[in-house]
Amino acid sequence: MIPPGLEKQFNILDFSLSSLWRRKYKNLGIILVFSGVIFLLASFQMLTGALSGTAKTVLANTPEITIQKMSAGRQEAIPLNYAGRLSSIFGIQAVVPRVWGYYFDGSNLANYTVMALEPGSMPGFSRLGLTLAHGRFPESGDAGGVVLGRSVQDILGLDDRRRFSLFRPDLSLKSFSVTGIFNRESDLLTNDLIVMNPADARDLFNIAPTMATDLCVYVTNPAEIENIAKKISTLLPDTRVLTKNQIHKTYQVVFSWRSGFASICLMTALVAFAILAWDKASGLSPEERREIGILKILGWETGDILAIRFWESALVSFLAFVIGTTAAYIHVAFLGGTLLKPVMVGWSVIHPSFKLLPAVTLGDLLLILTFSVVPYLGATVIPAWRCSTVPPDSVIR
Amino acid sequence: MRPSKILLVILLLLLFVDGMLYLHAGLMARDLQNDHAVQAAAVAGLGLTDLCVATEARYTRHPAVSDPMAPFMDHPGTIEHFPTGSFWGAPQAADFL
Repeated sequence: MIPPGLEKQFNILDFSLSSLWRRKYKNLGIILVFSGVIFLLASFQMLTGALSGTAKTVLANTPEITIQKMSAGRQEAIPLNYAGRLSSIFGIQAVVPRVWGYYFDGSNLANYTVMALEPGSMPGFSRLGLTLAHGRFPESGDAGGVVLGRSVQDILGLDDRRRFSLFRPDLSLKSFSVTGIFNRESDLLTNDLIVMNPADARDLFNIAPTMATDLCVYVTNPAEIENIAKKISTLLPDTRVLTKNQIHKTYQVVFSWRSGFASICLMTALVAFAILAWDKASGLSPEERREIGILKILGWETGDILAIRFWESALVSFLAFVIGTTAAYIHVAFLGGTLLKPVMVGWSVIHPSFKLLPAVTLGDLLLILTFSVVPYLGATVIPAWRCSTVPPDSVIR
Repeated sequence: MRPSKILLVILLLLLFVDGMLYLHAGLMARDLQNDHAVQAAAVAGLGLTDLCVATEARYTRHPAVSDPMAPFMDHPGTIEHFPTGSFWGAPQAADFL
């Protein structure tokens, strides 16, 4: 047995649904456009949330402190003897020099990241084998040996060949031999990597043997990272000192919905839709005005008419919200964010295929709901209230 | 059939689809744990600092260790021209020591 109050609401809901169905093409069009806007906003939020979540998880073991030498506002090579100057700071476990940089492959228009460090120098070196599909990392005396990311192998067109060459700055060729390939699971980090010995990287980039690109510092007590970073920046004033915490914060900023061009475009689309909804609702058609007038003459109260408009708007916006967010999840989880990916990777020739779990949090859903459903409710119910307070005889005359 | 019952069927259908997606999310999270372990090994072993998402410019390939003013530093008055530079938010200058 349905309580009388609820039965009345069911009847109003039935009337609202019939009313929506009478103008089905217009309402389906609104649901479609509305779902599209919510889909874009939710896709963007889920994709960037997934990327920042992944960054937070996998970058947990990033170097605790990174030291870069600065000159005239730019980063330049850092002398290896800077590592020795840090010996006076208590609590430093290891200082690992790295040689790394970018190699632009002009024939394929691709940028590779060349990374070189002494084998075994990093604390987590023993587990590196997990990242390889096959092969091994080059050892200290293994001149010319490299491990390639999967896209680098594809773009160089190596297939089963093991040897290839890259140009030095003076355009002479340096030969390399592939000793291993990174696996698919590590794509999100290693897709554009060429890992080699520091001596080979110095030869390729023409860097002096006494220099490195940066220094990675590992500390004994993680609680002391900030203190040690401050001591380093005092001891080496011509350097920039980055801590692990700052690296993590970077990813919360670059992928935040509050920053970036795309979010501005999406918010603009939402505002445009709210204006459209307002325009549509504020200019009720003469037929709709007459319907309201007849209902009032038949004994319907203003509250009942508002309930009809509320149900109509709530149904349209809620259905659009559910369809839009569901489609956004499918877009990110199954299609790798295909529509937004070109914006995120720009002109990059190398980019990994995204395998990301969409970030869906209650806060995000409430935020999208607030930006979509609430403005639409306001934009349709308020004009209906203004119309329903007008004397019915003046409306139907 | 009452229109509200047709609506109920549509809502149940959507609930079913979303329920399936919820189950999918659980399975995918379990599946991704393995990927994350491999990625964490790469980070620890090579000292990596950034995700390989956009490789077109150094400040979007390695935003964590690039100069915050990098997009505009190639020559005085230069303008940003890489598409990803306008999509990605810049790290706050105050983050650097």
